[in-house]
Order: sequence, then structure tokens, then C-alpha cells
Amino acid sequence: MVEALDVNYRAGGKLILDGVTARFRRGAFNVILGPNGAGKSSLLKVATGLLKPSSGTVTYDGTAVADFAPTELARRRAVLSQHVELAFPLPVRDVVLMGRYPHYGRSPANRDAEIVARALEMVGMTDQSAQHYPTLSGGEQQKVQLARVLAQIWSHDQDSDHKYLFLDEPTASLDVYYQIHLLDIARDLLGHNCTIVAILHDLNVAFHYGDAFFLMEDGRMAKEADNSRELTTELIERVFRVTAHRIPDPVSGEEFWRFTI
Amino acid sequence: MLKRSPFSGTYIVLGVALVVALVASAGIGAFTFTPAVMARHLAEGFGWIAKSSSDALSRNVFLQLRLPRVFLAALTGAVLGVSGTLMQGIFRNPIVEPGLAGTSAGAALGASLVFVFGSTSALTRPLGSLAVPVMAFIGAFVATMLVYRVSTSFGKVNVFTLLLAGIAVNAVCSAGTGFLSYIARDPQARNITFWNLGTFTTADWRGVEMVAVAFAGCFGISMRYGKSLNALMLGEDEAAFLGAEPEKLILRLIIVNTVMVAVATAMVGVIAFVGLVIPHALRMLKSSDYTFLIPASALLGAVMMSVVDIVARVIIPPAELPVGIITAVVGAPVFLWILLRQQRNGAASFYG
Repeated sequence: MVEALDVNYRAGGKLILDGVTARFRRGAFNVILGPNGAGKSSLLKVATGLLKPSSGTVTYDGTAVADFAPTELARRRAVLSQHVELAFPLPVRDVVLMGRYPHYGRSPANRDAEIVARALEMVGMTDQSAQHYPTLSGGEQQKVQLARVLAQIWSHDQDSDHKYLFLDEPTASLDVYYQIHLLDIARDLLGHNCTIVAILHDLNVAFHYGDAFFLMEDGRMAKEADNSRELTTELIERVFRVTAHRIPDPVSGEEFWRFTI
Repeated sequence: MLKRSPFSGTYIVLGVALVVALVASAGIGAFTFTPAVMARHLAEGFGWIAKSSSDALSRNVFLQLRLPRVFLAALTGAVLGVSGTLMQGIFRNPIVEPGLAGTSAGAALGASLVFVFGSTSALTRPLGSLAVPVMAFIGAFVATMLVYRVSTSFGKVNVFTLLLAGIAVNAVCSAGTGFLSYIARDPQARNITFWNLGTFTTADWRGVEMVAVAFAGCFGISMRYGKSLNALMLGEDEAAFLGAEPEKLILRLIIVNTVMVAVATAMVGVIAFVGLVIPHALRMLKSSDYTFLIPASALLGAVMMSVVDIVARVIIPPAELPVGIITAVVGAPVFLWILLRQQRNGAASFYG
């Protein structure tokens, strides 16, 4: 379990995170929700160990994040960001191999090469493995980044420590097909000793994929919920400053949200 | 293990080219030495065979003038090549190199202070014989950090600020160096042409020794950071997520880079554009992978500088051309071309 306990984060004299506590469920798809500027990204950065909280602690299964050596932490948790550009051209397979960097010293073992191949296969980019990353479309680049983080916390064919995958608005620049594809792959990891913590902007997508929800408002944790039902219409309307109503999907019966201002 | 590397072929070609370039550089010049004569002088130098008295002049020229010059040129080329690679990795941009980013000019200013005020001033006396490299390092480090800080905000490098900061720092440093060379009373003090355009004419074994030690140490350390520089291509945050500690990495590499550039510049002056052209050529020919670029740019840098030095010696006999003129003639068009392509397509798209 990743736990953020009473975390304050101050930057430029401003309190960005104000006493935030979040217990991300082990083996679940945790979703961080909230309007722009609520502190979602800061919480994610603190939880991944990138930012040091001004006060409070972040622990991974009881061990403080500050106590991990950087490469040790990198073997346990990976982060998929919104959009990663490369300043220089590298073949796709070299980019995915970076995910194995925390696992080997000077040169990759056969196992690392095998994991790279399987990660590429999983995201459907095997045919492009020799192509240069900057020549790919935005959606393809994001799939390569997904393959890279999959390779980083690979646990598909071995017993390993529990792994954590953080997703920072991973679908922001993707079309519908790539969005579903990416989130399905991520969701599939839950069966492989992995916990997911994601920032998602689209509430319908969030409710469809999420198991636990962390609604943020003005740097505080407004609501922690194990079920989307606990996020009431009134709460969503207040936090996001919209009017909302739910519509049942005539095919699946699943409820969808519709928002107006 | 080397066999499986996709780069071993390139290493072999570059290694052979380096041997050929070194032999050619040792043989060609005002004095010409055939390989047989070189071998005899070498054997004499090591004391393996008795020294023949008839060609003492030839032997001395070869052992005391030519050979140190050959090694100093090759080592300087290796330093500048690796430096270009490291700086491009740190700045995440292919237009950076020690000559343009102020590192070399800062080193020249620091070193020329020692030459002008001598090793007896209060500032430099405690440093003894290390005064020149230490002062060169201080000058180079201040200049590099200044350019880096000015051009970087929120972990991103702005190309135009970088270029302008480089121009400003270079201008201030060469003004300082120029001023110092004019007020210098010592006729031995190096002149402004030496500092601004570089030359290997003053090469001696002590200089070779210093550059060799600086290069060996810095190269050894740089080789450990190939993977981290690759990860840094993704950006500082992504590199951190991969366990690379970008802030430490950048500071360490700036120091390592500054040390070797400072020592080389103190010995031979500012030679621009080598650090730009070498990594660029390797990226075009083979790969942008830093685990390859670092060793390969050392080899290709040494080859290129050896060739440039040969040209400098033979093009206008009996005079010599400062090497910086030749590297600028080759390098400046490459620089403009990269800049143009970068403007048009973004940094990444033109090495494919």
C-alpha cells in the first residue's frame, strides 16, 4: 500500500497540499480526481517520491519513500506522464529498454531484452521497434512510454515485490481507441501484483476504470471513496462547479454522467 | 560481450583510423619521418637500442617536439569530442559545445590570469605548478554554470537564451583574455591569437601528461553515466523516475566536463566547433545512444584533431595556421545547418 500521511507541500510561499492523507488501496485502480489546481499533480509527485513533502510522510508498504535508494524505488514504481518528447532520435526499442535501466549495470541481460520485446508486444508496437521515436504519432509515442513503464515494473512471469504504476493524465492527448487500449492494459496489471494510482480528468472514464477514488479540492482531500456511489451528485457539483446528472447506458446499464455549467 | 554490441564495428573502424592518423601526424611536417625512422627513434628513446650520434637533431625533433604535439592534439580532440557529447546531453540540445557555451573561453581567461600575473602573485602562489589548470577550471566552471543557469528554467533549456548567454559570456571572457595579453610584460606570455584560435606549437611532454591525466579520469567517470544521459533525454522528471537523480548527474557532469576542458584549454587555447561536429557526425552515422557516443566521440575527436593538426602544419609552410581557424571553417557551417534544421523541424527529427 502507498500511504501519504498528513502531507503538506509548500512551493513559492503557497500551500499546495494542505494536510493530505491518502491510503491508496493495494492491488486496486486508485483514481485521483479534482478540478484544475486542486493539487492532484503535486500529490502524485509527492507520492512518487519526486517531490519531498514540506511535512508528513509517504510510505510504500511501511517503508518511507525517502529510505529507498533511487534505483530501488525505480524497480518498484514507474510513472507514465502525459506526453514525453525526446530531444534526440532513438529507436523505439532503446526507449523501452530505458525501463530496464534500474535493473542492470553496464549492459542489458538477455532477460532485459526479452522483457522489452514482450512489453512492446503487449502495447502492439512490435513492428515499430526499430523506428525512431520522434517519427511516431502522439498516440504511438504514448504506447511506447507505456511499454517503457511496463518493462520497468515487469512482474508478469515471476514472483516479485509488489509494484506501483502511477499514471499522470496518461490519456490526455489520445484518441478514444488509444485511451481504452491504454487503460485496459493498465487495468490488466492489477492481476499481476500491481497497484495503480492515476489522475484522470474524464469522470466517466474514471468511474468506469477506478476501484477507489480520491477527490481533491483546494489542496485538501475532499473525499476518499471505495465506490463511485459515495461520490454524490451534490459533491461532484460543488467541487467541479457544474450541474450534473446521471444517465443510464441503455446497453450496459452502467450510469454515465452528463455535465453542464 | 563486446562482440554482441551493435557498435563494435564502429569502434574498430574508429580505432584503426586513429592509429593511421597518429602515425601520419607523427610523420608529416617540416621534418618528415618514415615509419622506419620513427620506429628507430622510439627504440632509441626507450633505450632499447644505442643512440646513433649522426641523427641527434632528427631524434630530438621527433621525440621532444613532434611526438608530444601528436599526443596533445589527439588528446585535445578526445577531450573536446567527449565534452561536446556530455554538454549536449546535459543541455539536451545538439548545438551546445564547450567553445560556444563559454566553457573554453572561461578556461582561457582563468589560465591567462596566471600567465600574466605569474605564479608569484598572492592568488596563485599557494597553488604552485597547478596554478594554471586550477585557475582555468575556476574560470570555465563559473562561465559554464552562468550559461546553464541563465538558459535553464524549470528544468527546460531555452535554445535562444542559451546561444545568447554563450555569446555574452564568450565576449566578456575573450575581452578579459585580450586585455590581459596586451598588458602582459612577459614576452613569454601567450598572445591573444593563441587563446582565441588555439595551437599545438607549444606542446611538450608535461602538457601531454596533464591533459592525459585529466582526460583519463574524466572519461572514466563519464563512461558510467551513459545510461543516465539517455534517461535524461526523456526529461528531468522521467530520468528521476528511472532512478537517475538528474540534479546530481548534471552537476557532476558539468564538473567532470569542466575539468578536462579547462586543462586542455590551458595547454592549447580555445578550439571551437570540434565538440559540435563530432557528436553530430556520430549521431548521423550511427546512433544517439550516449553509451556509444561517449567512447566514440573520444575516438573520432582524436582522429579529427590529428588530421586538423596535420593540415595546420602543411598548408602554409613554413608558417603554421592556428587550428581554430580550420575547425571554424569546418564547424561553423555544420553549426548553421543544425540550427536551421532545428528551427524547421525541432531538435529530434533530423538524425533519423
